[in-house]
Amino acid sequence: MAAYLQFNSVTKRFGRTDALKAVKLTVERGQILALLGPNGAGKSTLFGCLLGLLRPNSGNILLQGHPVGATDRFRFGYLPERIALYPHRSVWDNGLFFARLKNSPSQELERQLKRVGLYAVAERPVRQLSKGMLQRLGLAIALCGQPELLVLDEPFNGLDPALLDGLQTILRDENQRGATLLISTHTMSAIEPLATHAAILLQGCLAASGTLEELRAAHEGNSLEAVYHRIARQTRAVAPEEVWA
Amino acid sequence: MKQIWIISAKEFSDRLRSGWVIACTLVWLGAIALTSLFGLVQIGRIGLQGYDRTVVSLLNLVQYLVPLLGLLLGHDLLVGEREDRTLALVLSGGVTRARALVGKFIGGCFALAFPLALGFVISGTAIGLSAKDKAIGSFFTLALSGLLLGVIFLGLGLLISTLCRTRVQALVCALLTWCVAVFAFDLVAMGVVVTANSTQAARQIEETTDATHVTSIADMHQAFESGDAAAARVIADRSQTVATWLALNPVDLFRAVNLPKEANVAVPVPLEVFSIAAWVFIALGGASWKLHRIDL
Repeated sequence: MAAYLQFNSVTKRFGRTDALKAVKLTVERGQILALLGPNGAGKSTLFGCLLGLLRPNSGNILLQGHPVGATDRFRFGYLPERIALYPHRSVWDNGLFFARLKNSPSQELERQLKRVGLYAVAERPVRQLSKGMLQRLGLAIALCGQPELLVLDEPFNGLDPALLDGLQTILRDENQRGATLLISTHTMSAIEPLATHAAILLQGCLAASGTLEELRAAHEGNSLEAVYHRIARQTRAVAPEEVWA
Repeated sequence: MKQIWIISAKEFSDRLRSGWVIACTLVWLGAIALTSLFGLVQIGRIGLQGYDRTVVSLLNLVQYLVPLLGLLLGHDLLVGEREDRTLALVLSGGVTRARALVGKFIGGCFALAFPLALGFVISGTAIGLSAKDKAIGSFFTLALSGLLLGVIFLGLGLLISTLCRTRVQALVCALLTWCVAVFAFDLVAMGVVVTANSTQAARQIEETTDATHVTSIADMHQAFESGDAAAARVIADRSQTVATWLALNPVDLFRAVNLPKEANVAVPVPLEVFSIAAWVFIALGGASWKLHRIDL
């Protein structure tokens, strides 16, 4: 039986820079995969290829054995690292626009806004929201339509401890509902209690992947952070001049 | 299909909220009123005239203003959302690039057509009531061809929007396109024809494009005044070469379609239809081709 999600030798170049070098990664349904790596390692690029925002130079991405297409992405939820919405429109208008694109009813948006604690400010223009509120609105939009795959790019950035705790609870609930989660992050303390699997990208190459237990055992680390640093040191971490946006 | 309508409705509503539609309506209505009232000032007359006379007065206004409005609206449709990074979020949710493009185009068409149509309806009604003219055919042709001219340039604006990386680049390209279509193309056409040793055809093109200039319009109004159809015959003996050149530029085609029949400018209807369809196809096809190759 085909894996739920399969990245087959995905390569992406920007000019002369190799952002992804033949990345091979398999994700099974119901996993919470933590995608780790320094800035410029290729995490957002990999997500971009999955979501159809970037065209890989070679390789392909399969969902249940078939190349991922627009109709499949209808069942994805995506929270970008820097959430960009329509600033002059209200929280509700923004949410409703994206919810309707996913064929999701307004009741579902209302439920998700309540879930992330933004329903009380539904009429407020988005330009008046704080960074944390914007992040939560992005999450509510991503959760509309009960997506089977959630792709979250640095979701823990800029959240205070209470919001971080709330976000972890929501992500755990989504996973229990049956959603598969791909989460890129630098905040390893936040992802470690959640993730079932981890993959480490360094300079566009997949340096390691597996369950958290497998990685800890193979690299003799007692935490995800220790494992990450050990692997990064072994593979000579990125030189600053090679970092790209 | 539903996604296309959601995107187009949002586009129209954004333009409505931003005041673009209202500003455009006011500018357009004001310009039509002024042109209709003072279009005959060169021959010492002021006031609303019949449809045929008003069409001659409005030709300049439509041929300069409508392409500009179409380009100004279209150039920002995609590059703006690309710069703001909202396009990525739209496309990540299962909206194909083709649907996003068509949705934006339809929304832009509504935002452009609403003020133009409103202006034509109000001025058309005012002329019909005040001048008691029932021969609305020429005015209807002007309105319809004016709307089509706007749609073509909206499409070209959308193409520019996909080809450029920033709003500023797109705006500069849009203004250059306007200059080429409205002013430079005729010179190039005449230059090519003269180079091909067809000075007669070159003179005919010059006469066609000159026919909408202020002095020529004054001549046409004078001819209407004296009832001298022969004096209004600005151009005669059109050749196929001239018709082809006119069909190559939507602005020239618009001029040719709307000049009084006494001007004897005839572009065959199949050529007109082909030219309009080709321009819309080139604009949307090019935009779609480019949009599918953009990394967001």
